[in-house]
Amino acid sequence: MESIVITVTSGKGGVGKTTSTANIGCALAQLGRKVCITDGDIGLRNLDIVMGLENRIVYDSVDVVEGRCKLKQALIRDKRLESLFLLPAAQTRDKTAMNPQQMTALCDQLREDFEFILIDSPAGIEQGFQTSIAPADKVLVITNPEVSSVRDADRVIGLVESAGKGPAQLIINRIIAARVARKDMLSVEDIMEVLTSNVIGIVPEDEEILSASNRGSPVAISGKGAAAMAYRDIARRINGENLPVQMPRSGGLLHRIFGRA
Amino acid sequence: MITFKGIRQGLLVILDDGALWEDICASLQSKIINSSGFFKGGTIACDVGHRPLSVGQLVGLRAMLAEHDIVLWAIQSESELTRARAAELGLKTELAPVTSAELPEVIDASQSIQTGYIDGTDGLLVRRRVRSGQMIRHPGHIVVLDDVNPGAQLVAGGDIIVWGKLQGTAHAGALGDEQATICALELSPAILRIADVARRFQAGKRAKHARPERAHIEREEMVVTEWNP
Repeated sequence: MESIVITVTSGKGGVGKTTSTANIGCALAQLGRKVCITDGDIGLRNLDIVMGLENRIVYDSVDVVEGRCKLKQALIRDKRLESLFLLPAAQTRDKTAMNPQQMTALCDQLREDFEFILIDSPAGIEQGFQTSIAPADKVLVITNPEVSSVRDADRVIGLVESAGKGPAQLIINRIIAARVARKDMLSVEDIMEVLTSNVIGIVPEDEEILSASNRGSPVAISGKGAAAMAYRDIARRINGENLPVQMPRSGGLLHRIFGRA
Repeated sequence: MITFKGIRQGLLVILDDGALWEDICASLQSKIINSSGFFKGGTIACDVGHRPLSVGQLVGLRAMLAEHDIVLWAIQSESELTRARAAELGLKTELAPVTSAELPEVIDASQSIQTGYIDGTDGLLVRRRVRSGQMIRHPGHIVVLDDVNPGAQLVAGGDIIVWGKLQGTAHAGALGDEQATICALELSPAILRIADVARRFQAGKRAKHARPERAHIEREEMVVTEWNP
């Protein structure tokens, strides 16, 4: 089966790697693709919680790698979306439990059954990150419109290029157009100037995201907000559609007249 | 007696075959001391020629370099004995097949850059954006045909020319040349250094319509003037 391994990473923590992985995975599955999302954050897994699948974990990816179970036993089918599966990480171990070769071998096994394999990378640029990008065909770097997050994304894009996995594609997450217009938030143009023009999606700040994550039901499944739409668009672009990236627009009429967003 | 070359893995120091080992070490040390910090925090390989070296001599060389915050990672030699002893000390004895992961610190600085064999007066052309955390160190001139992002570092023995925005830190004349200059289409760095003179710049202060500028030393002060290339 033709398959693509996509690693979602960022350098800095808390910018939306797990949320993005979950939502893009859901949206790709909604497009009818066979998708496996897997957690590269061994010891600090979260993807299962955001997906609402925590209580269905029996085996994890480390069990597969160490031969305690078959891959099929560790895969959890999402009941909401037929073609979506989660391969959870171990919670009781740490990043040393899997090396880049093992991750690559695991993904090679997944390639037999899935069209898209998404890896949720841990924060940082250490072993967990290295392991997570090792099998990648494509790397998505998430950044927030904020200086330290952009700086870390720059570092990570450099490392991705050096690892021969470039050019990375960028997702700008949690942008608030009204604040950009007031100039107290970096604009998309500012960010693109430093990082790359290779932007695959711009996700606006959306309250729906937070409640969805706590409920374990990613917005891409049935959300109607701006973030849900943005994630569906990202999935369509990954799926090969030629869909231009929309620049964010601030909501109010006054902002549209006077704002520069 | 001592030649510096830029190689893919960083710097190669070629030590003359004929001279006395003690003299060579002393001369290398004085070069390092007089170099305005070019080597500081760097990793180097040494080509020691045919000379058979004892474990003690190698340990001495490594310790002297470590004193100046330089890591010796490889010894190149035609002498099998020297290579065996270097290997015993955990030093690499071949330059070619080293992967960047095995190199301490310099890391992504050198790995994706083609330096080729260049002596101290030649230039290194960098045709890609230099990103945060990346460092480019070269004994000659450095020319970057892209932006140098905040958090990136350039260290050159000669001049630095950035055909783009320079927002990181740059050190020209890092082997002691006070005539060295730093030019950029947009000069908005964090820190610039030329030889031993340093100047800090306001972070994030970028002019609306930036003009090409050039930094050089005038009466021991760093001066930035318009650059009309």
